[in-house]
Amino acid sequence: MSRIAGALWRYPSLSMAWRNLGRNRVRTGLASLGVVIGVVAIASLGMAGAALQYQASQDLGGLADEVTVSPGEDNVEGALTPAQVDAIRDVVTDAPVVPQKTDSTVLRENGGVVRVSVTGVTNAAALYDVSEGEAPERLQSGALLDETTAAELDLGLGDPVEYREQLYRVRGLIETSGGFGGGAGRLVLPVAALPDQNYATVSVMAADGAEATRLAEAIEDRLNERERVVSATTLADIQAQIESFLGTLNLALFGIGSISLVVASVAILNVMLMSTVERRGEIGVLRAVGIRRSEVLRMILAEAAFLGVIGGLAGVVLSLGVGLALFQVLVGDATLVFAWQSARYLALGFAFAVFASLLSGLYPAWKAANDRPVDSLRG
Amino acid sequence: MSILELEGVVKRYRSGAETVEALKGVNFHADRGEMVTVIGPSGSGKSTMLNMTGLLDTPTEGTVRLDGQDVSRLSEDELTEKRRSGIGFVFQDFHLLPMLTAVENVELPSLWDTSVDRHDRAIDLLERVGLGDRLDHRPSELSGGQQQRVAIARALINEPKIVLADEPTGNLDQETARTILAELTRLKEEENIAIVVVTHDDLLIEYADRTVELVDGVIR
Repeated sequence: MSRIAGALWRYPSLSMAWRNLGRNRVRTGLASLGVVIGVVAIASLGMAGAALQYQASQDLGGLADEVTVSPGEDNVEGALTPAQVDAIRDVVTDAPVVPQKTDSTVLRENGGVVRVSVTGVTNAAALYDVSEGEAPERLQSGALLDETTAAELDLGLGDPVEYREQLYRVRGLIETSGGFGGGAGRLVLPVAALPDQNYATVSVMAADGAEATRLAEAIEDRLNERERVVSATTLADIQAQIESFLGTLNLALFGIGSISLVVASVAILNVMLMSTVERRGEIGVLRAVGIRRSEVLRMILAEAAFLGVIGGLAGVVLSLGVGLALFQVLVGDATLVFAWQSARYLALGFAFAVFASLLSGLYPAWKAANDRPVDSLRG
Repeated sequence: MSILELEGVVKRYRSGAETVEALKGVNFHADRGEMVTVIGPSGSGKSTMLNMTGLLDTPTEGTVRLDGQDVSRLSEDELTEKRRSGIGFVFQDFHLLPMLTAVENVELPSLWDTSVDRHDRAIDLLERVGLGDRLDHRPSELSGGQQQRVAIARALINEPKIVLADEPTGNLDQETARTILAELTRLKEEENIAIVVVTHDDLLIEYADRTVELVDGVIR
């Protein structure tokens, strides 16, 4: 305490402020405690929101980057022709365009019976993640099967599956994803294996959600002249809505946290007013011996700022602990708390604490500085 | 020339509906190297007069001159500058800051002045009032007499031309009061300053070069 005051001796306002706070440590501690609670509330709620946002964007994953082109309401064939696929390729210059044929079938192997959807695709690598084997960029022979179905039918890599009286060897097992539609059984075959001439859907793998939205519009503009022959949809809109909702939620949480800091700054206002009233005579002496009004003002503002800084620092340390726990529980990775997305709430909480304390100190400081020494010396 | 002059100073206060005239045309002066005591019954306007001479308050009418300059119409900030550079204060109950050591208390009036370092002068002044071995003691560790000596050193830190004392021995026993007064007298000569003391205490009159009596807001 005194070492800090000594170091501050050449910064008289800070030094005097520090010593004044040291005179009544219980009061200083309690006033700071209010700030600590405020900062913890702001930072923890902010970080909780950040954790939710992070988790949500993880769950949606790459789905939002994908454009799905399917037949529109005016499409008489109910499918996309190879010419339309070429037109899509013209629009999309630098992202994978993956046309797919679809069918469904029932697999009977080793005594098990599973209904699966069949997808005919060439660029399997763009659509599927495999846990075992491979998902080739040019699927000419063989098949991919999802893990769950493979387990039910007791099939492994290299085992044959039968589709339309043809046998295909399983080359890769598709990971069962946690995302939408991940649960159903899926069989992936070369395009040639399916009887249709036309394609059921075309997937375009864009670089990000914004690009996906742009491509979806461009594809519809190009292919739909008078009639709606194709419909290009993307999950980017849904993701944007979810993010906007989470942003609002986060702001609401932050607002709730701020209320506790407002309460804390009222406490500081009270403490600072009390302490300046108690020290009225003393401040009168300062003014009498030639300390300027601005100097008294700075001294008392510095006291309020110290309360904010002390409480703010303690609050940040506590909040960091809360944040680590939050991210461990909600996301499963505590270190993500140090990412700016969540760490900014620590900075924000601290800045808010110092700002609120200074604001609370303003009136007591102004009042003390402008008290006429004649009046304050009288008591 | 007088360091401090009051010429026809009138001070009126508005107290509720009525106006109180605390000073009714006071003429007063103090010169370098002299100690003047102002005596008078309570309510005679002594405190008001001290506030005028200490530039803590401005007169309703009349003129206050410090070192020849009319200071009766200065702003609060200008008065603060004059107090800082030209006037020292000694109070009845010492008014030292409890969280500062003796030497820090003495430095206090010059603390915000970054252009000067009065640390050495503070130590010198404390040594001259016999507190060379109490530099780092806090007020609570000092006796009343010692505290008043610290206050006297504080009053002298900025090399003022005049020191104003309000009942400086009021809270001290007779013997301590005598040593304090002896010190004040010595410092007055060493520093060539004027000392104006407002008091009830007859003992002070012994040490004064001159005594004036204030009765009902006029000097007699």
